Amino acid sequence: MSTLRVVWYSIVNGANDYWSIFTLKSWVFGWLIRVVSQVTFFALIGKLLQKQAQTDFLLIGNAVMVAGMGATFALHQPTNERGNGTLPLLLASPSRPVVVMLARGLYVVADAIWSALLGLAIVGPAFGLHFPWPRVLLVIPLTVLVGAAAYCFSTFLAGVIIAHRNINNLVVNTTIVLLMALCGVNVPVSFFPTWLEWISRCLPITDGLEAIRGVLAGDAWSSIAAHVGGELLSASGWLALALLTFGRFIRAGQRDGSLEFAS
Amino acid sequence: MRAFLAGARVQLRFMTAYPDSLIPFFTSPLFTIVFLLVFKHAGRPDLTAYAAIAPVFIALWWLALFNSGWTVTMERWNGTLEMLVASPSSFGAVIFGRIAATTAIGTVSFFEAWLVARLIFGTTVTIHHWGAFLLTVVATLAAMAGTAVGMAALFVLARNAVTFSNSASYPFYVLGGILVPVSLLPHWVRPLSDVVFLSWAADLLRATLRVGPIHQFWPHLGMVVLLGACGYAVGLFALRVILVRVRESGELSTT
Repeated sequence: MSTLRVVWYSIVNGANDYWSIFTLKSWVFGWLIRVVSQVTFFALIGKLLQKQAQTDFLLIGNAVMVAGMGATFALHQPTNERGNGTLPLLLASPSRPVVVMLARGLYVVADAIWSALLGLAIVGPAFGLHFPWPRVLLVIPLTVLVGAAAYCFSTFLAGVIIAHRNINNLVVNTTIVLLMALCGVNVPVSFFPTWLEWISRCLPITDGLEAIRGVLAGDAWSSIAAHVGGELLSASGWLALALLTFGRFIRAGQRDGSLEFAS
Repeated sequence: MRAFLAGARVQLRFMTAYPDSLIPFFTSPLFTIVFLLVFKHAGRPDLTAYAAIAPVFIALWWLALFNSGWTVTMERWNGTLEMLVASPSSFGAVIFGRIAATTAIGTVSFFEAWLVARLIFGTTVTIHHWGAFLLTVVATLAAMAGTAVGMAALFVLARNAVTFSNSASYPFYVLGGILVPVSLLPHWVRPLSDVVFLSWAADLLRATLRVGPIHQFWPHLGMVVLLGACGYAVGLFALRVILVRVRESGELSTT
């Protein structure tokens, strides 16, 4: 029960953070335009290649990638806590820091998923992407799954770099482009050497994205279900790693004093 | 000139002290990989030049947005703006020195992108028009620095500067045609692209990597310089207005 209360207050905290960052106007004319432009930028490569299949592939991949990208922004959470001077209070409290962090960043994931879906809905028709009805509705829960998997991954990474806030932005940005390169966002993972394909399958996004592509392409349900299973496995794995290691990274930082005095 | 060089030196020290300021040098090779993968998968090695140019523009634009654009704001946050304004050196020269140093460092991404193309994909980027290439690079860097001065002023004035800098990447990559030429954009977008210097610069740089002659080189180069100069003029004017305003109101340390 107390964990639920911690989760609830963390979500409320996060929501307040969110509304201090964005107003409706700055979200629509700033963030949404960026999302639409990002998806358009990659979809246009398909136009350059003069292949509708490539256009669809790039458009779907990069729209869904917005969910992964936004979730990766959650890496900023612990650094923000440190920057605001609230991390010591959080560490001193009896709550588990990882629970607070996970719940507090949920607004980031919700925003990322919503942005990804909007990107797909706005840019898709402009590039002639066909949305098969009613199968297309499945894209919504699958995008939620992709966002959640990426969030578990980024929470794990947040623990890894919690003592090194000077490289926080570097890790966020590099991770996002790495995921774009490796998760089948721009080319199918089957195009990679086998060893790299296996690495890709361990990362979040890859299988979830393939499931979404399958839904839109009218693939067999068994194939879609297999990819959903893969994404669930990946999400669970990264969540377990985050839960197992986050506390250790925090304690290591407390022991060597790097949490508050690292530059 | 001395103030300009001092600004450049300070900026180089900042960049070596803060790894976050080096982000584009980590992401630029990765973007090259992404673009080259797409073209290789599509069986279009003829588009290698496109893949090698785009990451450079992404790196330069990122540096302009997040390093140069925040120069004045960071001086304010660090509490050093007052000392800078009170010193006898030209405020504009110091700021421009810092921005120019950042922009010049951005050229490293050229080598990164082309090295990745060579080492990972075994493709060579050949410059067929060396003179035009060097002139375009210099004009592009100058225009980027000029635009960054404009951003530096804008970020001081704007309430939502953080939101703007986080959002102003891909819209300009599309409008600037840094990967896909502007000619593939809808007609109604093209007038907007015409006022973004990136669109002229990207077309020219791609043309220098092609065997055939470059059409209308000088007018296009002129547009890059002109649009960059406009950004610089607007930025310099805005910075002067800001300084006069905060001096008159006595709110320099609290604005």
